[in-house]
Formats: sequence, C-alpha cells, structure tokens
Amino acid sequence: MNEIFTLALLFSTLRQTAPILLTALGGLFSERSGVVNIGLEGMMLFGALAAAVVTQRLEVPFLVSDPNAQVWWVPWVGLLAGAVVGGLVALVHAIASIKYKADQIISGTAINLLALGAPSLVLEYYYDNSTSSQEVVNRLPLIPVGSENLSPLVFLAFLLVPAIWWVLFRTPWGLRLRAVGEHPEAAETMGVNVIRTRYTAVVMSGILAGIAGSYLSIGFLNQFVKGMSAGLGFIALAALIVGKWHPIGILGSTLLFGFASALSIQLTGRNILPVSVVQAIPFILTMLVLVGFIGRSRPPAAVGKPYDK
Amino acid sequence: MALAPWVVPKREFGGVGYLLTPFGAVNPQNLELPAMLGLGWVGAAFWVWVGLMLAASLTFLLPDPRSRSRALYALGALGVGLFALEAVLFYQAVNAANGAALAGGATRAPLRRFTLSLGAYLGFFYAVALLLLARLQLPGGKAFLVRFRGAVVPVVSLLLSVLVGALLILVLGRVPGVEGLTLSFREWAALELDLITFSFQLLFSPIYTFSGWFNSLQQTTPLIFAGLAVAFAFRTGLFNIGGPGQITLGAIFVMIVGIFMPGPGWIVLPLSILAAALGGALWGGLAGWLKARFGANEVVNTIMLNYIAASVLLFFLASNQQRFFGYTLYLPFKAQGFEAKSLELRPEAQIPLMINLLAPGGEFSWALPLALVAGLVAFFALRRADLGRRLLLTGGAAIVGYAVGGLIPGPAIAGNLIRDLAASKLNGSFLLAVGVLILVHYYLFCTVGGYEMRAAGFAPKAAEYAGINLGRKIVLAMLISGALAGLAATHYVQGGVMDEYRLKQSIPVGVGFDGIAVALMGQNTSLGVALAGFLFGVLRTGGLDLSQQLGISRELVTVIISLVVLAIALGGLLPRYFTDPLKAAQVETEAKDEEEARAKAQRAS
Repeated sequence: MNEIFTLALLFSTLRQTAPILLTALGGLFSERSGVVNIGLEGMMLFGALAAAVVTQRLEVPFLVSDPNAQVWWVPWVGLLAGAVVGGLVALVHAIASIKYKADQIISGTAINLLALGAPSLVLEYYYDNSTSSQEVVNRLPLIPVGSENLSPLVFLAFLLVPAIWWVLFRTPWGLRLRAVGEHPEAAETMGVNVIRTRYTAVVMSGILAGIAGSYLSIGFLNQFVKGMSAGLGFIALAALIVGKWHPIGILGSTLLFGFASALSIQLTGRNILPVSVVQAIPFILTMLVLVGFIGRSRPPAAVGKPYDK
Repeated sequence: MALAPWVVPKREFGGVGYLLTPFGAVNPQNLELPAMLGLGWVGAAFWVWVGLMLAASLTFLLPDPRSRSRALYALGALGVGLFALEAVLFYQAVNAANGAALAGGATRAPLRRFTLSLGAYLGFFYAVALLLLARLQLPGGKAFLVRFRGAVVPVVSLLLSVLVGALLILVLGRVPGVEGLTLSFREWAALELDLITFSFQLLFSPIYTFSGWFNSLQQTTPLIFAGLAVAFAFRTGLFNIGGPGQITLGAIFVMIVGIFMPGPGWIVLPLSILAAALGGALWGGLAGWLKARFGANEVVNTIMLNYIAASVLLFFLASNQQRFFGYTLYLPFKAQGFEAKSLELRPEAQIPLMINLLAPGGEFSWALPLALVAGLVAFFALRRADLGRRLLLTGGAAIVGYAVGGLIPGPAIAGNLIRDLAASKLNGSFLLAVGVLILVHYYLFCTVGGYEMRAAGFAPKAAEYAGINLGRKIVLAMLISGALAGLAATHYVQGGVMDEYRLKQSIPVGVGFDGIAVALMGQNTSLGVALAGFLFGVLRTGGLDLSQQLGISRELVTVIISLVVLAIALGGLLPRYFTDPLKAAQVETEAKDEEEARAKAQRAS
C-alpha cells in the first residue's frame, strides 16, 4: 500500500483537482447569480476542442521546417480560444435561460448533448477522423516543482480561489452578484441590473470551464479526444453543492474529488481492484458525499428561477 | 430563390450533380444530359413566383381583413398548385428522356438520382406560409395557432434546428467535385445551397423506400422506450437523464437471464423481458429513492449512475477473472476472444425478427393480425365492464385470435416488401414498444394512480394536501421510468440488432439521451413520442447515407437532435403565449370574447 501514497500521488491529486476546481469556480459565479449551469461539462468539451484545434492549426506553418518547433505563444492563443469558445457557448445558455426564460436544466442538457455530437463534425472537417484531433507539438509549458512538473493552469486554479473569494465577498460587484442570486427583486430595487449581472456571471462560468477544458486537451494531454471530460463537469457541479457555494468549501470538495481521481489512476494496473471498479470510484464517492451533505448545504435562494421583471 | 438550384436532373453517387437554376445551369463536372430533356420552364417558373410574391405583398394594401385573407388563400392555393405543376413537368420530362434512351438501346437510364431542389421547395414553403398568413388575417387567427401550440412549438423548433444544421453544413461541408475550379459567386452559391439541400434529402431519404421504413422503425424502437422513460418522468415533475445507465443495467439483467435461464420459450422470453425492465427500474429507482429519502437531486444522481453503469458493464464483459486484493473472482459471462461481448443468449430468450412473426417460412401468418383484431374488438366491446375484467378478457381474446390465426394457412408471399423486411433487423421489440406506449398512456390518463402521478408533477403542493404521498410517488415514478428505459435493452440484446444475440460493450446506450429530445419534441404525449421517435429514427437511418455519400459525419444527426432540445427549451423563439399555459389560455379566452361580441353586434344590426 505504501507505494501508492507517495509524493507522486500528491502531484497527481493537484493535476486532477485543477480542472474540477476551475469548472466549479465557474459554476460558482453562475449559480451565485441564480442560474443553474448543468452545461459546464459541455462548455469544458467545447473549450477543449477549440484549444486543441486552434493550437494545431496555428503550429502547422512552423512545423514545416522543423517538426518539433516550439513556438511559445501558440498554446497560449489556443488557451485563449478555449476560453472564448467556452464563454460563447455559455452565452447561448445565458440567452436561453435569461432572455427566453427557458428551463435552465434542459438548456444546459442541450449544451451537453451538443458537446457529444458537434466536435465530431469539426474533427471530420479538419482531420477526417470523428473521435480525436491530431496531436499538437506545442503544449502548454510545464513549471518544474521539485522532481515533478505542473502546468501553470494548476497554479492559476488554486490562485483563483482566494481571488474569487475576495471578489465575491469584499467587492461591491460580488455583493451585487450574491444579491441577484438570493433575491433579484430586492436587488433590482436597489438599482442593480439583474439581467446584466446574470449574463456576466454565466459567461464567466463558461470562460472558466473553457480554460479547464483547454487544460485537459493541451495541458494534460496533447490532443482532443471525444468526450474527454468524462464527467468532470458534473463532478464539479457536485463539488459546488458539497462546497456550499463558497470558494473555500469548493477548494476542499474539489481536492477530495481530485484525490479520488488520482487514487483511481494510481490503482489502475496494479491488480488490486478491477479497472472497472477503480474507474467508478470518483462517481460513487460523489453520490455518497452528495447524499451526506444534503440539508447541510443551502443553494442560493433564486437559483433556477427565471427573473421576470 | 434566384440563386438556388430548382431541379437536379442528374447526380452521381457522391453528390456531384447537374444543377439547374433560373439563370442557367451549374455543372462543375460537365455531366451530359440527353438533348431532348425539356426543362426550359424553370426560368419562366421563377418569374411566375416573383409575380406571385408581388401580388402577395400587394394584398396588404387591401383595407378589409376578410378580403385580404381571401386573396392570400387564393394566392397560397395557386402556389401549391404551381409547385405540383413543377413536380409533374419535371418528372414527366425526366421519365420521357430516360424512356427514350432506354428504348434507344441504353443499358441503364442516363438520368439518376433526379430530384426537385431547393428553389422549388422554397416556393412550396412560401405558399404554405401564405395559407397560414391568410388564416391569421381572420379574427381568432392567433388563438387558432395557440390552440395547436402542442404541434406548433415542436415544428418550429425542428425548423430552427434544421436551419442551424444547414449553417453547419455550409461551414463544415465540402462541395464535392469542385477542387481546382474557379467559381463565380452565382455558381458557388448554387453549389453550396445544393450541398445543403442534398444533405437533408439524404437525411429524409429513408421515407421513400420500404427498406428505409423498416430500418427507420427499427431505429425508432429504442427511441420510443427512451422517450417514454423521459416523458413519464417529466409528467411527474422529474428529469431523468439516466437513460444510458438504465439501459445498461437492463441489458446486463437480460444477459444474465437470457444466457442461464433454462426452460421453454414462453416462460424464458417474458421473464427475460421483465428482467430488462427490472434492471432499468433498479437504477432509476435508486435515484428516486435518494431523492425521496435524502432530497438528493435526481439530475446529478442519474448522471453519476450513468458513469457507474458503464463501469458495471465493463466489469462483466472485460474479463472473466476479476482480482480483488489478490483474490480472484471468476465470472461466467464474457465470450472468448478480444472483443468485450457476452456469451450468446439461449434461442428461447431471443426476440424473433418481424419477418418471422409476420411471415414465417415465406407464408403470411394470420396469427398476429388476428390477435390484434380480436384484442381490439374485445377491448371496445367490453366498454361497460370494469377495468380488470376488461383487460383480462382482452388478453384472452388476443390469445384465442393468435391461436386461431396460427391454424389458418396464409398465402405464400414474395416480392420487394418481404425481401426488404427480411433484410432489416426490425424485430418483435417494436411491437413491445408500441404496446408499452399504449399501456403507459392508459395508465397516465385513465387510472387513478396515473392521475395522482400527474398531479404530483403538475402541482406537488396541491397533490400533497390532497393526500398523495409525494415521496412514494417519486420512487414509483423513477422505478417506472427506469423500467421503460431498461426495456430498450431488449431491442439491442434480444433483438439481435448488434448483429449477434449477445450483449456487447459497444451497445449504443447514448440513445437514452436522445430520449430527452423525443420526449420534448413529443410534448410528453404518447402520440408525440411515437411521431418524434419515428422522425429521429428516419434521421438516424438517413445519417448513414449522409456519411457514405458526402463524407459529412453522421453525428450531424446527433447535433440536430440536440439542437431540437435547445430550440424547445427556447420555446422555438416564439412569443411567450405559446409556451406558458396561462398566457395561452388568456389568448384563447380573449378570442372567444371577441367572437361573442361580434356575434352580438351582428344580431343587434
């Protein structure tokens, strides 16, 4: 057993936590403003796709002379593309749930379903392959930490926790955001623009989910694979509930889920448990923790309700 | 309409065609047409349509709504007639040319895959729109549309999705056969519009052939089960996204019963079907129980259960030896070889193909049709009897009909219809789907239990005050919903749709997600679920042609189906009174008041 609990497991936990944490922090914005965002999974996938495809298309001219050419700015533009696409997909969800007062769960589900099919069309167009993109040479750089390497996005994810805490609880904008999610009518009376606040919050959530997706495709791996987020978006949603819609709580809950993922990776191929059982660990854990936290965790009062002026 | 191709008299496999637009032909690959083909009318037809459109805009100068409506009705009818005339002219011209060539000794007809195209279709849609507009001019026009909002919202949503799908083809599709050519704008536009039109023609092409129908119905079967599962949950105020997991569990249960249960077919087959329902019910009911007992959201839990079910499936099929902390567990399910698939089901547990049900041994069997007729007759004749006896006698009559029908010798049949049916994998689970569809409708709308179920979904607080135990209803609803989804497994595992009578890891459980679109598109009604299931079944069948001929991923169908979900969530971008029942009622009441006021005024004068 000792060989499992090593420093490598700690780093693996950090790597596994980062995308869940980024996505959950995104969900935090959206749900604190009163919009349920079950489409986080889909936004992650679209972000991952955009990052992989843009990076690959951009590096092509540089690879002509040298097939291993490293161009420092290429993956960063890819990351930007992932964030922008995530934000744009979130904008669709925002328009549906804010302007058209759609059922937010159904609208989010539609985005998740789109993210299952639409990438195949793009992949078929560029790569004649409907399940994965061409591998990229220019991945996001790694920062060496001791004997291991971590992506800068891992640092970003953990640094965002205090930053977002500060924004939400120490700035006027954060106060307005929380007010909009608790009691939009009261917020409107005090002069807060409910509609605009919600749009901003939902798009922010998409941007963060898009960054998390980019981390998967050009940070963690070097290509887009169909359905590569494998439920992380939904786990992030659960982490939001378990973390009581608070950045610090979310840090704790995502670390728990990240640890479960890291553990399941470490256990794979060790003949201790069947692979299938190991793979199910994060999801079973999510369900158990969720059941245990129900009642102790109170969602923003106006979450899921369309705002009618 | 000016840029679009109107008719495509000839098209090669792969999509290259000869396009005829009102301002000349676009023919990138220089396909040859017979000289005698009379298609000179296309240019003229365009100007007739322009005239019709001018006339239609002029009607808005008429001050009186009644005469405006009359003029629009006339123009709309004229447009529909014009479209019919175009169709007749085109097919006559093509058949004449083909006939002449064949008579002249050609071995195959020179014109193939000929169709009308976008320009002609647009005219037809315009005419239909004129007819609708005419109805809207009359008093009560808006209420007329609102009354049929159950059909208007899905149809408009479908149109929106098709429109977005068309844009996707425009961006991501490649026009075949134009590499290295320089095109004018007119040619480019015609080719792109043709690509879009041809893609959708391919998607809807299954409805033109028998084999297309059979294949579509085969695709419809799991969609009906999945759609019913979601619709049932919606009716009780729950959102079941756990279709994939429930189908997986149903499939595992079927596999276990189907491989190992000994006995005659009339025991094993029903029991294995029940096992599928039980597996799905277990997975759905678990989510329901968690919601009723702990208040855990069923949406998140059903999603988690999907992933866990995938692991369970892998556990059973990946290997027959699973090691737990050094101990080895031996499983008896996986077949030998690399592929993750189970042993074959016993023949008794296999659901027969439709061809064997309707015409075993090439002879038409009266058994099923007679059973159906006898059952229906008994059901409607016993309208007075109480429910239990009515159902019992109906079942009895059906069995007698089946037995008698089996004894009557049927005529031997042959021909295309039977050949196509034999080639398709359409199987008995389709009948099961139709039966379950009717049963669910009956339960929801004709029994006390179903009424309580709907009440719990429609107004939970009121239902609770009326003495309905909400927690129990939630668990029961998720049990039934899961069982409905689980039944889809009978189609895949027992119906032999995956080429063999085995459970494979590649079982396409994603159909459980398509069920969401089916339920939404069908507005949670039985008829709607059946129609939407068939529509998506056609699209999924057509998607195969699409990827074969144009190299556009068949996932376009998945995208269109998901867009339908989004469009319906958006209420089809229609005004709120189409989606909000209260506002709809308001519109209808206003129209009725208006009508009465007018009638009163008429009487007074």
